[in-house]
Amino acid sequence: ERNISLANATTVELSCKLDPNFHLRNPQVTWKRGNETISHTTKAENSWSIKLVIVDSSKMGSYSCIVKGDEEIRATFYLHVPKIEAREKPIITYEKDTAVMVCKSDSTPMTWTWYMMRGNNPVIINESLWTDKYLISRLSANVTRLRILKLTKEDAGVYWCEAVFQLGESERKMELKVLSIMAPLKPFIAIVAEVIILVTTIILYEVYSKRKGK
Amino acid sequence: MRQQGGERKEHEEPEEAGKSPGARAAHGGWAWAVVLHFFLVNVLVMGMLKTFGIFFVAFREEVGGSSEQVSWIGSIMSSLRFLGAPLVSIVCRGLGERPTSLLGAGLVAGGCLVSTQATSVPFLCISMGLLLGLGFSCLYQAAAVMTAKRCRARLGFSNALARSGMGLTFLMAPFTQLLLDFYGWQGTLLIFGGIMLNLVPSSLLLRPISTRHSSAKTQGCESPMAQKDPETPDGGLDGTTDRELHPHKAQELPTTERLLMSHGKDVSDPTNPSALGKLEKPTPGRSSPETATGAKRSNKPLSATKKETSQPLLDLSPLKDPVFFIFTWSFLFSHLAYFVPFFHLVARARTLGMSSMDGSYLISVAGITEMLSQLLSGWVADQNWTKKYHFHVTYLVLSGLTNLLGPLATTFPLLLAYTVAFSVSCGGFMALVLPVLVDLVGVEKLHSYLGFAAFFAGIAAIGGPPLAGWLYDYTQTYACSFLLAGACALLSPLSFCLEPWAQRWKLKRARLSPDPRAG
Repeated sequence: ERNISLANATTVELSCKLDPNFHLRNPQVTWKRGNETISHTTKAENSWSIKLVIVDSSKMGSYSCIVKGDEEIRATFYLHVPKIEAREKPIITYEKDTAVMVCKSDSTPMTWTWYMMRGNNPVIINESLWTDKYLISRLSANVTRLRILKLTKEDAGVYWCEAVFQLGESERKMELKVLSIMAPLKPFIAIVAEVIILVTTIILYEVYSKRKGK
Repeated sequence: MRQQGGERKEHEEPEEAGKSPGARAAHGGWAWAVVLHFFLVNVLVMGMLKTFGIFFVAFREEVGGSSEQVSWIGSIMSSLRFLGAPLVSIVCRGLGERPTSLLGAGLVAGGCLVSTQATSVPFLCISMGLLLGLGFSCLYQAAAVMTAKRCRARLGFSNALARSGMGLTFLMAPFTQLLLDFYGWQGTLLIFGGIMLNLVPSSLLLRPISTRHSSAKTQGCESPMAQKDPETPDGGLDGTTDRELHPHKAQELPTTERLLMSHGKDVSDPTNPSALGKLEKPTPGRSSPETATGAKRSNKPLSATKKETSQPLLDLSPLKDPVFFIFTWSFLFSHLAYFVPFFHLVARARTLGMSSMDGSYLISVAGITEMLSQLLSGWVADQNWTKKYHFHVTYLVLSGLTNLLGPLATTFPLLLAYTVAFSVSCGGFMALVLPVLVDLVGVEKLHSYLGFAAFFAGIAAIGGPPLAGWLYDYTQTYACSFLLAGACALLSPLSFCLEPWAQRWKLKRARLSPDPRAG
């Protein structure tokens, strides 16, 4: 199984090679995409290949070569648009802080778009509408960054970045969580209270034993 | 006046046999309190250092900066823990252990809290790296020396017990990850700051010995230790109980003698010939306290204070002491031998085709075995069957041999056997580092010696992992790291062979230049 990521229109050659150790008497090799069969373009000693010209997203998908011998052996190639890398775990930020979300891809997309979920509807983040809230910058050809300023609780939710390639679109979802400052402060104050109690106890004990000694 | 000297120590010294059993129990109790504090220091300090790897990922993602920049924070933090030791030892001797420990706890907690506001990597380098590193070294130095001062009888076992705290640090990692998932790195640092604040009450447990009157304090600190110092060159051959009973007999009898006959040191001399016979071999810096114990009580505060001033705060005398070099040589190489295999154990398991589950299983086995072996080794050393450093040398040699045979372990059972053997020997020698230093040097000068020794060990600690990594890149196999560790472990005990000569050299030098006040 192989994954091949393609961004721009190109020609691809996929070939299946049989291991010479496996002597199959009369190997029958067919290339298939889904249910339709594709004829070989080249056949060499123990290898069968097809050439594909990919211009748009309709040609993407999985192609398999099937070897019929005693058993049926399959090898599959997945042709897909480049996957986008981003933070998997939810991003945790605090109110009034700034959130930073970065999306990165292997190849250069034509455009990047950021969306957020409002209610049940995806909404495009239009920078020009909220200039003091959202900042989208293209750090490099393959990297985009969304910064959300002055976070509030309502900003929490799902965000995603979408990259448009010649051969299709690819997107990645991220979750933003906004906590109030009190959230970690509560355990902290509890610990500080415990520390103060211990300190007071020890100091009192020392004063007491000193007085007892005198 | 000085007649109250005998009574003043009621609450603090257990050696007042029969004076107050309650006080004796209290003193024993304080010793355990110090061990508890040292344990807590080990857990939190080591835990913080080890979980830094988890913070590393969070920092890289959120604060930005390259891998290299962020790893500087970790390096500064762990190296300052050692490199800051000479500075800290000066502070410790000037302020005392308890204030230094409180300062350390404050630095650590403050550093964590300040880091929550960090926006860039250089900021974190200073707030997390510098402050935390210095805080750790303050805490460590104060706790180690206090343990040595309090637990004289069972230093090996107490040290091992405290060091077993390092074994619990494996709990910190999932806990930190949980906090990071809940609160993000800022919340986690905030909570960590709170947890580190717990070191403040435990630092308060480091009660200074003899807190009664300030002049009495000088005496109390000087006299028992002054008696012990001449005995330590023998490496604890005398039973440790002798050590504790002797000095007080020496002090009580002169008092009574003085009361009865109002004579000076001529009277006290015959009463304790054995103790004073040992006084015959002082080192130049220590001659005045010995004379103080022998002399009239009224002279004591004078000579005691003179001794204080004769030892400046920045004490460079360890650097002139051959025993120091012996110890540091061994310490340096044993540290290298200790860290390198642990770094590469999991990687080696991987290259031999084992899964990462097996790798982490090996690490947990190593951790538990080491903890148990530390406790056993500490207990055995305390039995005083022979000088402590003989045990130390034995463990080092065992560890060296194990490491040299390490590359032969190619299957999981063999690697497991190697891990067990290695952790047993490592736990053995690590537990004895502090007791051996105390034996060689004595509790009084421990601060300066420990400070400088830690400084040199810090250089090894910084250089160790990169060296091992470079070795791997160069030879493309982890076997060499084990061979290197084995070689280091075998190099380190070599210096101990020179120990008897060094001691003799020191004594000769001391005899050649007697202190004028001894006369």
